[in-house]
Parts: sequence; C-alpha cells; structure tokens
Amino acid sequence: MSFIEVNNISKTFKVSVRQSGLKNAVKSFFKRNYKYVEAVKDISFKVEKGEIVGYIGPNGAGKSTTIKILSGILIPSSGTCKINKMTPWEHRKEYVKKIGVVFGQRSQLWWDIPAEDTFDLLKDVYDINEEEYQKTKKDLIEKLNLKDIIHMPVRQLSLGQRMRCEIAASLLHSPEILFLDEPTIGLDATSKKIVREFVKKINKEKKVTVILTTHDMSDIEALAKRIILIGKGRILYDGYLRKLKNKYDNNKYINIITNDKLTIKHKGIISKEKTKDGYNIIIDSKIINLSDFLNLISKKIKIEDVEVENENIDNIIVSLYKEYEI
Amino acid sequence: MKLYIKTLKMHIKATLEYKASFIISFLSQILVFFSYYFIILSLFDKFGNIKGFTLYEVLLCFSIIQFGFSFCETFIRGIDQFDKLIIKGDFDRLLIRPQNILIQVICYDLDLVKMSRLVQSLIVLVIALINLNIEWTILKLLTLILMLLSAIAIFFGIFLLAAAFCFLTVQGLEVRNLFTDGGKHIAQYPIGVFNKGFVLFFTVIIPYAFVNYYPLLYVLGKSNNTFYVLTPLIVFIYLIPCFIIFNKGAKRYQSVGN
Repeated sequence: MSFIEVNNISKTFKVSVRQSGLKNAVKSFFKRNYKYVEAVKDISFKVEKGEIVGYIGPNGAGKSTTIKILSGILIPSSGTCKINKMTPWEHRKEYVKKIGVVFGQRSQLWWDIPAEDTFDLLKDVYDINEEEYQKTKKDLIEKLNLKDIIHMPVRQLSLGQRMRCEIAASLLHSPEILFLDEPTIGLDATSKKIVREFVKKINKEKKVTVILTTHDMSDIEALAKRIILIGKGRILYDGYLRKLKNKYDNNKYINIITNDKLTIKHKGIISKEKTKDGYNIIIDSKIINLSDFLNLISKKIKIEDVEVENENIDNIIVSLYKEYEI
Repeated sequence: MKLYIKTLKMHIKATLEYKASFIISFLSQILVFFSYYFIILSLFDKFGNIKGFTLYEVLLCFSIIQFGFSFCETFIRGIDQFDKLIIKGDFDRLLIRPQNILIQVICYDLDLVKMSRLVQSLIVLVIALINLNIEWTILKLLTLILMLLSAIAIFFGIFLLAAAFCFLTVQGLEVRNLFTDGGKHIAQYPIGVFNKGFVLFFTVIIPYAFVNYYPLLYVLGKSNNTFYVLTPLIVFIYLIPCFIIFNKGAKRYQSVGN
C-alpha cells in the first residue's frame, strides 16, 4: 500500500450565481440562484513516502481543493483517501499531527509579535516536548537562516523573510508530509532559492513527503521529478517531468514581427496565432527544421524581426492547456 | 487551558504593541459604560422606582448582566468575531491543528479593551450591594455567585449560536444583536417590570430571566422560594444544545466548503 492513496475523489460545491449591479444584488438577496460546480472530478493518484510531487494547473483547476481535502479541511462528496493508513477528515486530530501545511497566500504567524512567540505557541498546540522542540527549532533556524529575523515583529519582515518563518512554523512538529500551496508566490530570486534548497534538504534528510502546488514552473523544475497536471478538476497528466519535456522537446517557439498577412500550411506547424504586430508559431523541428521554415515564410512575407525560443516548461504547460482546451 | 493562558499572554503582548490606541479605546469604553449607567440614574431621579424596584436593585441586575456580557466580550471574543474567522479563511487553519476547534476559536481573539467594562460592572455591583440592605445568608451568597456565572454562560451560549449561524450564511447576522445587545438592554432591568409576553420570551426562548430575575427576587428577599436559588443552573442546561449546534455547523463547513 502506498503512503498516500487517493481514489476517485470528487467534490461538488454549491455556489450562488448573480449578475453584477445593485439591482441584481438586491434581487439575489430575495431569491438566490444556485449552481453546482464540480471543483474536482474523479481524482486518483498514489504517492510514495519521500517523494516530491508537483501539483500544477491553471487558476481554478482544483489544486487548492485537493490540498484542502488531503489536509482534512474539506470532506469530499465521494471517493476515498488514505494517507499513512488514516482518512484525513475522520481522524482529524491524530492525522494533522503528521502534516505541515503552508498556504503561500495566508499567514499563520502573529502579525504584531515576533515569530519566535508563534513558534512557542505552536509547541503547545502540537504538544511537542521541550527537548525535541529546541532541537528542531535550532535546526530550522540554521537551515532557513532565521537567526536575525526571528526576534522582530512579523509585520516588519519582508515577504521573503516571512515566508521562511512560515515554513519553519509548519515544520516545528516534524511532520511526515508537507503541503506547500504556492510557497514562492511573490518572492524574489534569492528567497525562492533559499526556500527551494531547504525543501530539497528536508526531503533528503528527513524523508519528508512534499506535495507542492505552484504557478512558477522553475519551482517544479528545481524540486519535483514527478508532476500531476490538473485542469478543470481532472487529472490530465501524471508522470515524470522529463518524459513530458522529451515529448515536446522538438518544439520551437517562433515569434515573428511583420506587417504582412501570412497564410501558410505545412506539415510540422503545430499552431499559428496572430499577435498585435505579427505571429506566434510553434513548429515541430523534427518534421520541418527551423531554417527550412524560415526560408519558406521569408519568401511569403517581409520579416522585420524574429525570435526563436526553445521549449521550456512554461511553454509546455501552455501547450498542454491548449491541447486539453482548459 | 494551558493553551488558552498562553494565547492570552500573546494577545496581551500584541495589544501592548499599540499603546496609544489601547489607552484611547480603554477610556472611550469607560464613557460608553457610564452613559448606560447615567441613563438608569436619571430614570430613577424622575420616577423613584419602577414597579417596586428601587435604583440599587436595578443596578444590581444591570451590573450582573454587564458583567456576563463584558466577560464574554473580553475572554471569548473569538466566538464573537467568528464571522471574520470564516471570511478571512483562518478557520481552515484551525482545522489542521490537533486541538479542539472550539478552544481554538476562543483563543483566536481577545479584547483587552473590553476589560474596562468588566471592571466597571464589578464596581457598580459593589456600589449596589453596599447600598442595599440585604440580610446575607449562605444561600443568598450562593445565589449571587450562580447569577454571575450564569450571566457568563448565557452570553457564551448566544455567541455560540450566532457563530453557528455563520457556517450557514458566512456573515454574522444582525439577528444576533437582537439577542445580545437587545436582550442585554432588556435584561439590565428586572424582567418582571415588562409585560407578560416579554417575561415568557426571556424565560423560555432565551433564559435571561433565570440569570437575573428569579434569583434576584430571592436575593432581594422579595420571594422566599428556595427553588429560585437553583434557577441560574437552568442556563447551563441551555448551553448543551448550543454546543451541539456549533459542532454540527463545523462538520457542515467541512462538507460544504467555503
């Protein structure tokens, strides 16, 4: 049995629909129209102990809903979920001792007092014994370089400093699983690097299983070998990142600036899109190589400028979204 | 309990970060409180007594209700502020902590400013007791203590119910204020001075009458019915469904989502 087993989980929300404007707001005050939204549909996956999994998808795809179900905050409409032999929402108190959750957009630190005070409170919340607490705290302070910032009121910290404290706060009770919901949102390059390296380190040293959601593909590239791509509540891809990359490796992204109108049909052209001052074209260089392609179009139109980009993970995701029409 | 005391200290620390703001709000709370107090004073200045209740008898009644309300506003403010907790999404955070949810909600907020009202209500209580010539017996003392405790309990219960409503509607309802603020203003006076319908409503639906009417009659020697000594305990029974409803709401939140 795997460490995390998720089987056929679905979650339906009832949301009220209303149009904008005061009149409609008043109208909906008396009579609400509801519609049912399936946030996640029939999701199944398995994660082994010590894995780092990137959980990605566009906004509103159901990422946060999944994280909330896995951390026991929400109960799914149907399906089962066993994590470390426990069902999160049934064995809540016991289960949450084993997990740490970082919501990148929400803080768990007390705003007006130093982070260390929050840590001390968490010690009691999680019932950590003194010796173990001091050891873990010292370790986290060192690894996340918190020594100078832990005594300052949290409101005076920069976003990057605060996020490092947040992560430390989520790990004080040495959880076996760490859920990171957009941990690098809004961080600068240095802070991102510190966070990533730290996650890597605790995964390696303490075998912490990490489930990470993000919009920053470089996070995924730096951390996760395996990704789960979700869109419109369904799992679209579950597997190695490298495999996905290989599949798209021959794609070239060509941005052409021109005033002329281009009509072209040729094998190997995956997509063509009109932009404000030209075209965005994706070609498969195995079928049509780049110079042939450029030759071909330069006969048809006057190219003012051209930019060629290799495949990167951001583009893969964009083309995957396109492929699945999400 | 250890957890609660620890959070209490944290709240005090956080409040003290803003000294000036704390002092100003503290003083303004004193003014608010005394405005209530002076309304009662001027009322009695004109009428002398209300349906046989004298000024200090009413003040006793008033201070007990104020005590219960201020106590809850100070120390279990988290329940009072529950709608904020839901809207800001902080409730999710409570669900991933290995502690009882209600305790965490209570720990969520603490309003030290309201402490000023608590102190004042006790001052008024003492003033009233000094000026009333009560022949004290152990039973009467017990009744008074039970009244104070049940005053806390009743607002606890009402706060809990209001919080449970937030699970349904997200935003706190104005209906709540009808029961807390409205009820509080009515219960500041011995409920017997109002008409029968009121008495019935505040006995059966929201048992304010058990807090400071029936036991009050006993303490003041207006009734010799020793059963009245125990009436405040009824309020504690009333708390049970409040707890159940709150817990149901929390479970529902998990299955409905936000």
